[in-house]
Amino acid sequence: MDRAEATGIGVALAGHAALLAALAFGFAMAGNPPALTDPMEVSFVDEVGLVSASPEPSAEPAALSTAPETGPVDDAAPAPAPEAPRPAPREAVPAPSPAPAQPRRAQPRPAPPGAGAGERTRRAGLGDLDPRSFGRDPAARSSRAPGAVMSAQAAADIGSAITRQVQPCADRQVDPGPGANRIVTTLNLRLNRDGSLAARPRMVRQSGLDDDNRRYAQRVADIAIAAFTGCSPLRGLPAELYDVPRGWSNFTMNYRLPG
Amino acid sequence: MRIIWIIAAAWSLAFGPPAFAQSPPVPVQAPPPTQDGSDDDQLVVDVTGGRRAALPIAIPFMPSPQAADTPAGNTQALGRQVAEIVSSDLRDSGLFTPIGPSGLQAVSFPQVTAPDFPYFSTTGAQNLVQGFVQANANGSLTVGCYLYDVAAQTELTRQGYVVQPRDWRRAAHRCADTIFSRLTGEGAYFDTRIVYVSETGPARRRIKRLAIMDYDGANHRFLTNGQWTVLTPRFAPNQQTITFMTYQDERPRVMLYEIDSGQTRPLVAGAHMTFAPRYSPDSRSIIFSMAVNGNTDIYRIPVGGGTPQRLTSAPGIETGGSYSPDGSKIVFESDRGGSQQLYVMNADGSDQRRISFGGGGYATPVWSPRGDLIAFTRTGSFRIGVMAPNGSGERILTSGVYAEGPSWAPNGRAIMFTRGASAGQLWYVDVASGATRQVRTPLGGSDPAWSPLRD
Repeated sequence: MDRAEATGIGVALAGHAALLAALAFGFAMAGNPPALTDPMEVSFVDEVGLVSASPEPSAEPAALSTAPETGPVDDAAPAPAPEAPRPAPREAVPAPSPAPAQPRRAQPRPAPPGAGAGERTRRAGLGDLDPRSFGRDPAARSSRAPGAVMSAQAAADIGSAITRQVQPCADRQVDPGPGANRIVTTLNLRLNRDGSLAARPRMVRQSGLDDDNRRYAQRVADIAIAAFTGCSPLRGLPAELYDVPRGWSNFTMNYRLPG
Repeated sequence: MRIIWIIAAAWSLAFGPPAFAQSPPVPVQAPPPTQDGSDDDQLVVDVTGGRRAALPIAIPFMPSPQAADTPAGNTQALGRQVAEIVSSDLRDSGLFTPIGPSGLQAVSFPQVTAPDFPYFSTTGAQNLVQGFVQANANGSLTVGCYLYDVAAQTELTRQGYVVQPRDWRRAAHRCADTIFSRLTGEGAYFDTRIVYVSETGPARRRIKRLAIMDYDGANHRFLTNGQWTVLTPRFAPNQQTITFMTYQDERPRVMLYEIDSGQTRPLVAGAHMTFAPRYSPDSRSIIFSMAVNGNTDIYRIPVGGGTPQRLTSAPGIETGGSYSPDGSKIVFESDRGGSQQLYVMNADGSDQRRISFGGGGYATPVWSPRGDLIAFTRTGSFRIGVMAPNGSGERILTSGVYAEGPSWAPNGRAIMFTRGASAGQLWYVDVASGATRQVRTPLGGSDPAWSPLRD
């Protein structure tokens, strides 16, 4: 090996050593790699919506927006119906109750009439910041919104919300006797938009009755009604899913004692 | 002595507006169109909740529309006492935690049908009893009794009782019975009486007298003077007579006591020893034990007297017979198998079958008014227990102290018994919960017998 070869080998070795050192230093400074994605929250739904939750095309024209316009205002093109004021929720939706004692939050949130699917792209996000949104379809902005549908997710959310509110009053009920916990009482409940009862709870049926617990049937029916009425009115249910099909204006509660 | 129970509808018209006028505030917003009973297309919510505990119930003093003096006292004072009796009855059941009457805000007469639900909801009560006491022009009293659900703000039931002043306590018990039945689903039992053996004096010279009292210990009186020792009194289902055993001249004999006349007579003629009597459900006959030629068997005889009909014939001692509520069967105890055990037979004595097999023996079987259980004394340990009529599901209800002599409440949910071998006391136990409570008696006692509900 002549001198030139030795020099070349030396340079090559030095170069590799420098490269190795640089890479090692670089990895040491890099730290933990960032997570690929944020954790995704998954909720399980025990029922499958039989109806598509996606907004259906509406035959009605898109409603006027009530939200601040984000685009430039066309001064030269006045609104086709300037006499129509900005929708006033109190005019469009009857007040739930004149009772001054009603908590304010029991009133339905103003639901601009006609704010339908045509507006969703413009206002999406505002409503979803509302913690009471319940996984609703952004299109379901109005109580009569075209295309407002109770999705399986929304039904599960509303069911959970109702159960959560009724549970403390259910837990206070006293078991009248042995075997009463086999009785399942089904109530029909009709609510106003403010969550208060629109009619006395009506017992639809009872199941699980036998010779041993039949004597408790009437009492368990009382308890079922008291469990609901004790925690009425319900709070924070989404106004737009009030009177849609399978909405919470008229729903069924199955009650039973534990054990 | 007769009480007239009237349905409240008539007098409620005279008394005032019906309480259902106080239903929850009328909704101001029209609900959506009514759907039918089908919930297939509805949102369905499942709720499970409840607890095993005493039910908190508010019982304020009962007002009077106008204070008036009666032979039983002023109506305002009676209103306070009626509320206290209702509270006491419900508390004694072990199924309620009464709130009040003391300490609750006063209720005016108009408020009886228009309760201050917001106030009572702050007391923690889930239910509310209100009522009134009113003196009538004919000298009788009217006691009104209303039960409300505090949370639902609804009336659950109401009753009115027109009574003679001397029976005002019965009106209170009837009110408590109404509340108890409506809120538990069980039969009533407060408007009842208890006949028992009152025991006084030193142990070696104990005086045992037959005594009768209301369920809560009131109106106590003696039926015998203590000259003869008495045992095992039993109420006739029609409450016209009481049968019991007495030792006259050291010889046990079954006697019959007529409640209205106070007359006593032997049930069975002759010199044989007779004991352990019990009525048939129709009150027409009595089964009892009689020792003839050294063999003790169960016999039946009409209440009015006649020739006893023998129902058992096995060697040994057959005694303690008790009818099923439908009168078709009899449970009794027998030592024919070597130890005291329970047997069931048809009412005519046929098809005798042993139903108990535990060690130590069983005695004093009593068939429940519901027909579903037989109560007994477990001898040896002296505890009260129950089992199904076929002998299954044996369950001991008492523990610790000596207990014997069970007697069912008319609703079949509670059992009264004697606790303590000497200077006994009367106790009762709730069959479902096992909770026990001492019965109020002026004196020590034993052998309680619970009457049916009074007419």
